[in-house]
Amino acid sequence: MVIAKNVSKAFGEHVVLKDISMNVKQGEVVVIIGASGSGKTTFIRLINGLETVTSGEIFVNNVEITHSKTNLHHIRKGVGMVFQHFNLFNHLTTLQNISIGPIKVLKMKKAEAHQRAFKLLDRVGLRDKADAYPDELSGGQQQRVAIARALAMNPIVMLFDEPTSALDPEMVGEVLAVMKDLAKSQMTMLVVTHEMGFAREVGHRVIFMDDGLIVEQGPPIEMFSNPREKRTQDFLSKIL
Amino acid sequence: MDFYGIIRDSMPELIYGAKLTLYYSLATIFLATVVGLFFALCKLSNSRIFRKVGETYVHIFRGLPLIVEIFYVYFAMPMILPLHHWFDPYFTPVAGIIALTLNEGAYITEIIRAGILSIQRGQTEAALSIGMNTFQTMRYIILPQAFKRMIPPLVNQFIQTIKDTSLLSVISINELTRQGQIIISTTFSSLQIWTAVAVIYLAMILSLTALSGYLERKFQIARR
Repeated sequence: MVIAKNVSKAFGEHVVLKDISMNVKQGEVVVIIGASGSGKTTFIRLINGLETVTSGEIFVNNVEITHSKTNLHHIRKGVGMVFQHFNLFNHLTTLQNISIGPIKVLKMKKAEAHQRAFKLLDRVGLRDKADAYPDELSGGQQQRVAIARALAMNPIVMLFDEPTSALDPEMVGEVLAVMKDLAKSQMTMLVVTHEMGFAREVGHRVIFMDDGLIVEQGPPIEMFSNPREKRTQDFLSKIL
Repeated sequence: MDFYGIIRDSMPELIYGAKLTLYYSLATIFLATVVGLFFALCKLSNSRIFRKVGETYVHIFRGLPLIVEIFYVYFAMPMILPLHHWFDPYFTPVAGIIALTLNEGAYITEIIRAGILSIQRGQTEAALSIGMNTFQTMRYIILPQAFKRMIPPLVNQFIQTIKDTSLLSVISINELTRQGQIIISTTFSSLQIWTAVAVIYLAMILSLTALSGYLERKFQIARR
């Protein structure tokens, strides 16, 4: 579903990713962990073209998105993204936030898009907030709307960039619950997070990144109970 | 004749001038906003050439006195391009509007650019992430939010535009200021006529201020 081949990324002199190769299968939930500055956020931003690779290739659903001729706008319709700071459209209501993509990008009829939006609002438990503006919602609610907004495009893969890092502790649970529900529905997911409980419970595979490299990867139980690499051990001992 | 008598007798001429001032202002405000939006997008473009075009435009037309720009379009340009033939017999008003539009447009370029830049990067990224193209992102996500923040500086510029139309008197456009001059040249009643002219300008500008207050309140209700 997502294949990265020898991907490197540098911002000027600063090398953020060094020769990363990996692939994500359909329906797989991959959790990427690592200290800040390890390159994990940059990596998932490359997958929907918010950043461009310095070298290497990335394929999403067999289309090479790193090819200069590829229409990124077209690819992004199939790649949902959830941001650390939600990035809801401040001038639009919850309902409009979710339906604007289907209406403007997929050219769906308004009534149909609203119907889809209400279904998604039921799914994230926020139907009663349909007419609220983002600044009337709590952080956890905003992030659930953001997930619904991404899902409204019927993506084939969902990317999460530290979706709970900007939330107050008591709101983390409600967002993780929505993500777990999504994982159960066989959605292909790539999740950058510090939530080890989530990784353990729903992750099929955990990738540990450090200093722009994939240091170690494997099933969560193995990774957490028996990490092979010294750097993984150090990192896990700090956060577990 | 009494103080108000002269004003009363000159009213038709003054109102004619006020109407012209209003028409020139409205035409310039509309065109300068279009021009400003275009060059603001140029300056924000990824293309170096477009950015240079936008920068050069602002540098030149913000960098010259308006009266020089008016003289340039009206007297100098026809020596290079036969504008006065192309637009005959409307060359004078066309030249006036072109000069005003280019000047005000340079300021509006910077107002619009600042408004767009004030919207967080995350809004653009979110729009792109649901598959919107650059145009859709601007049109549906960035500009609606930026516009609200642009209202106060834009209204400022529109007020400036109304006042700047008085300089069109130098190329014999009979707007309010020139009408005042013409009336005074035969009646010699400076105090009365300039007072009337001042009151009419103030009335126009205060109504624009009231409109902007209304717009700001309206968009406040419609939120950020």
